[in-house]
Amino acid sequence: MSLLESVAAGFALVMQWESLFFLATGVAVGVFAGAVPGMSATMAVALTLPFTFALPPIYGILLLLGVYKGGIFGGSIPAILIKTPGTPASSATALDGYPLAEQGKAGKALSMALYSSCIADFVSNIALIMFAGWLALFALNFGPPEFFTLIVFSLTIIAGVSGDSLLKGIVAATLGLMLATVGLDFIGGTERFTFGSVEMRGGLNFIAVLIGLFALPEIISYVRNPRERDASVRGLGHASLTRAEFRGSLKSIFRGSAIGVFMGSIPGIGAAPSAFLSYSEARRSSPNRDNFGKGEIEGVAAAEAGNNGVAGATLIPLLSLGIPGDVITAIIIGAFMIHGLTPGPLLFENHADLVYAIFIGLIASSFLLLIIGSVAIRAFRYIADVPTNLLFPAVLVLCIFGVYAINNSIFDVLVMMAMGLIGYIMLVLRFPAAPFLIAFILGPLLENTFRQSLLMSGGSLEIFLRGPITVIFWCLTVASLYFIIRSTIAAARIRRQARQGSETAPEQKD
Amino acid sequence: MLSRRDEILIGLGVMALAALFLWWLIPTYVAIPRRVPNRALAPSFWPNIIGWTMMLAGALLATRATLGPALPTGTADRVGPRGPEFLRLFGMAAIMLVTYLAIPVLGMVWVSMLTFLAILFLTGAKRLGWGVLVAVLLPLTLYFFFTKVAGVAIPQGQIVRLP
Repeated sequence: MSLLESVAAGFALVMQWESLFFLATGVAVGVFAGAVPGMSATMAVALTLPFTFALPPIYGILLLLGVYKGGIFGGSIPAILIKTPGTPASSATALDGYPLAEQGKAGKALSMALYSSCIADFVSNIALIMFAGWLALFALNFGPPEFFTLIVFSLTIIAGVSGDSLLKGIVAATLGLMLATVGLDFIGGTERFTFGSVEMRGGLNFIAVLIGLFALPEIISYVRNPRERDASVRGLGHASLTRAEFRGSLKSIFRGSAIGVFMGSIPGIGAAPSAFLSYSEARRSSPNRDNFGKGEIEGVAAAEAGNNGVAGATLIPLLSLGIPGDVITAIIIGAFMIHGLTPGPLLFENHADLVYAIFIGLIASSFLLLIIGSVAIRAFRYIADVPTNLLFPAVLVLCIFGVYAINNSIFDVLVMMAMGLIGYIMLVLRFPAAPFLIAFILGPLLENTFRQSLLMSGGSLEIFLRGPITVIFWCLTVASLYFIIRSTIAAARIRRQARQGSETAPEQKD
Repeated sequence: MLSRRDEILIGLGVMALAALFLWWLIPTYVAIPRRVPNRALAPSFWPNIIGWTMMLAGALLATRATLGPALPTGTADRVGPRGPEFLRLFGMAAIMLVTYLAIPVLGMVWVSMLTFLAILFLTGAKRLGWGVLVAVLLPLTLYFFFTKVAGVAIPQGQIVRLP
């Protein structure tokens, strides 16, 4: 199939009312979930996943991508109106968004957040279309050794999603790798950690693991401490965004979009650093820099552009290499797996129509976000009123039905519950869940490509240095580790100094 | 942030888990073929690497917590539940276990309704009328979606069967 034929086939797939309906539904669900305090885009994508398996692949994937896009923007609504960011990346939006809401200009801040989100999302999607195909073409030359070195490099992304403690991130990742070894051995077909159970021979169901890990700990946390949330919702106010304000922020929006695209295309960095970098760059170069943090509309624009600029770009490594860029794209892999599709270079070869349909659908999602986001801003007062005492039991019921429906297996429900308990213990002990999930996905790939390579070479390790691609990935891994160790030491030093500062301050007062 | 004592215990716990994995789970539950051409191709090779990595990370966690500065008194977060929190967590664990065991007997729809209501009571919810309504409607809606639209056979149980 030529490029033009693929694009035409993709266009035909998307331009059906069902495709647009599922995409719009996804965006609406995502905006709603992102806007509800206590829910997150990650949880929304995880909960929507089981509902996609009854759909044709294109509808299911568009539905999930819609939830993803909508969820990222939706997180900015509570960040601005009640200073409760729906996603970590929305924290940067709250810096200026909430002060604007306090000044009675919440409507202005939300409009700016919506417009900058849609523009950055559009730019990010264009970057995805430009680079993913090229990267996939390049990756067609990869054999098992190249993939092994790529996955070793990708595992360093765990540092990016480890939060405060790299060591805890590593422990969480080893736990994910450990559970990924359950089932029949890839080469010999012998059993590993199946405990004699037939159900465990195929390994632990990915969807059950991720829903257990991301949805149940929130429910258990709520049950432990079911106090009503008492954040007060600010009104939208009557100040609307002017054309001059929008034009004045365009530079920051495009710079934030570029930052988002760059940082999103590198696995593991995620939206939060991108949003903060975009915000700090805008503050550094703005003539109104003194007003940042006090209610500067350009600050909202920069933060949201950095946040949403990541959304399309994280799909570049996912679609072209099969490597998830962050935790949500790790979940989206599940949608491909449910339909028997494997993201990676062969996806472009064997299902080019689907890939181009996804690209076109993503472009359409930017416009749908603009429409649905405008409605959601006005409806937020009602969304924020969703009672948590009904929301969390409802989420549990959704989890039970959804996980069962994947394989018609009650055993999967048990796996989900066990993972929920493990996830809750990890939450309480401050172990990040994202490294666990990424390692759980990459673990089998890592092991299989390692062993395939050794079978190819007759046991010689030299195969892992067989060409420039493997050498480049080893160099990137070493460089990545160097920067991780350096930044970890620097962060620990800053924390120690801050702690010493807080200890000496009361003594000076005395 | 957790207290130094908690962080040390976490490090030691991780090491204990790694030891359990290395010296009990791998030897007992990984079937190794008699003839393996290369040690790296044995099914126990990766689990061993993972176990040792976990052991090392646990040791580093414990060492860092031991040698690092302690948090100022009263600033550490509490890990363990107390009083009513403990009872609610215990209740939640019981609800989850009973839910799993009851699905084959009562069916997923009825069990989901009861689970929903049990969590409402456990958390002392105020809007009970709405709660009961959602507890009944949500599982029924999901049942009809999955059986009629998605073609999934939702477990019906042995007592009351739905169309």
